[in-house]
Amino acid sequence: MMISLKRMNAILVKDFKDFSRNLAVSTILILPIGLGIMYGQTGPNSLEANFLLINLAFVMVATFVQCCLIAEEKEKNTLRGLMLSPASTAEIIGGKSLLTFILTMLTVIITIFFTDYRPANMGVIAVAFILTVFFYIGFGTLLGLFSKSVLEASVIVMPVVTVFSLGSFLPAFVDQYPIAKIGMYLPNIQLIELAVIVEQGGGFGDVLSELLIILAWVVVLFLLTRVMYRKKMID
Amino acid sequence: MENIIEVKELAKVFGNQKALESVDFHVKKGEIFGFLGPSGSGKTTTIKILTGQLTATSGTATIFGEPVSQLKKSEYRSRFGVLTDSSGLYERLSIYDNLKLYCDLYNVPSSEIDKVLDVVNLRQDQSKRVSTLSKGMAQRVTLARALIHKPELLFLDEPTSALDPGNSLHIHKGLRRLNEMGTTIFLTTHDMQEAELLCNRIAFLDGGKIQLLDTPKKLKQRFSDSTITVELATQERVVLSAGAEGADRLFDYMNNNQVVTVHSNEPTLGEIFVQVTGRELA
Repeated sequence: MMISLKRMNAILVKDFKDFSRNLAVSTILILPIGLGIMYGQTGPNSLEANFLLINLAFVMVATFVQCCLIAEEKEKNTLRGLMLSPASTAEIIGGKSLLTFILTMLTVIITIFFTDYRPANMGVIAVAFILTVFFYIGFGTLLGLFSKSVLEASVIVMPVVTVFSLGSFLPAFVDQYPIAKIGMYLPNIQLIELAVIVEQGGGFGDVLSELLIILAWVVVLFLLTRVMYRKKMID
Repeated sequence: MENIIEVKELAKVFGNQKALESVDFHVKKGEIFGFLGPSGSGKTTTIKILTGQLTATSGTATIFGEPVSQLKKSEYRSRFGVLTDSSGLYERLSIYDNLKLYCDLYNVPSSEIDKVLDVVNLRQDQSKRVSTLSKGMAQRVTLARALIHKPELLFLDEPTSALDPGNSLHIHKGLRRLNEMGTTIFLTTHDMQEAELLCNRIAFLDGGKIQLLDTPKKLKQRFSDSTITVELATQERVVLSAGAEGADRLFDYMNNNQVVTVHSNEPTLGEIFVQVTGRELA
């Protein structure tokens, strides 16, 4: 399957222009960065606390923003226009995810800059972050395709935002509530576990299982999104 | 002539409501084919099935000789253009930016934007944001978007429904020019004048069924009562039969310099529709 970078770039440029004039969604970026600035002022923080902010940045930008962008395309019937064009599923979803990918990575980097978190192994963390952003964008795309309007999308996405940001505290409840162990396989928790291993001097070999679990989530969401997209191509 | 669209025994059922029933027709390459019917008659459903946006309950539909299920393929989607009532625009972007996106998606040079905006009479407005446009202007932008890649086949669902007569005329001219350049047009409308002006053949659709299908001229001939109306100098209007008796009376009027105008009494397409379906077009 050939992918046209020109088409993906055209969607990226369009999304950038549209996003920059869409204050209702673009101001969301301020939240994690603002929290990062305030949090950075409070002195040294635990890794888990830093990752609460990082996961919040991921879910607020990658999932919330992506979900709203896709839902708006559906609500305004512009997604159907893209679907009827020669652009393939991969080009449309890829193109529509590019802006969110760039915005998420920038927001996460800026948020980290204001906190005192400095990864012991930048390579491992970078790979983990890239996989994680794919997961969150996939989730946002899926929820956006599922929603009928931006309003509905912003309601549907809220439980996801809660689970994947505040969920960082989940390990603290595992001893008390064994059922919470299931939640330990969520990608946000895996990311924290991976970060802990990295801080203890671990390399790629030591975090393989965490990376594979996050990758498995990415694959599952990719397949679900593809099925949902194909379904939405037909009334 | 090669058929660009072929539809056989097409049916679509929504729940227990039949939207289309045993619809058969074909559209020849280079033709402007009109699908006429009131709201809810199945016009948009047909376009959606033909463009792969809806699956038929039964029957077959082919475009470019391929089943419509093949329209998922990029190479087929670049050969047709669609304008429906649900064609959306990016409201925060300018007219130019909306069209630029589609130039890039269809791999068309940006220089086509000016040309297509000339067709819809919006060239001077290209920097305006879509959110500031009237409904009619926005409809013209969606039409421009459907034309930008000079498609072989163009589906237009009520293309001038929100337009004033001046802009409708401008768009009719543009569509005829496009058709002369080789684009086949499948047009749905409930505007009989538009259909008569543009279409080579028309089909009357009512209750999900095709009631009549022919050229506008042949339909009018078929439903004509073979009379003429003569307007006399006395302002009297006389209806004459087309036979020998009528010819004698017309000759007398003409001989006495009494004739002001002569009109053949062909029914309008709207009148034919009412005659066939018992319903007004609305």
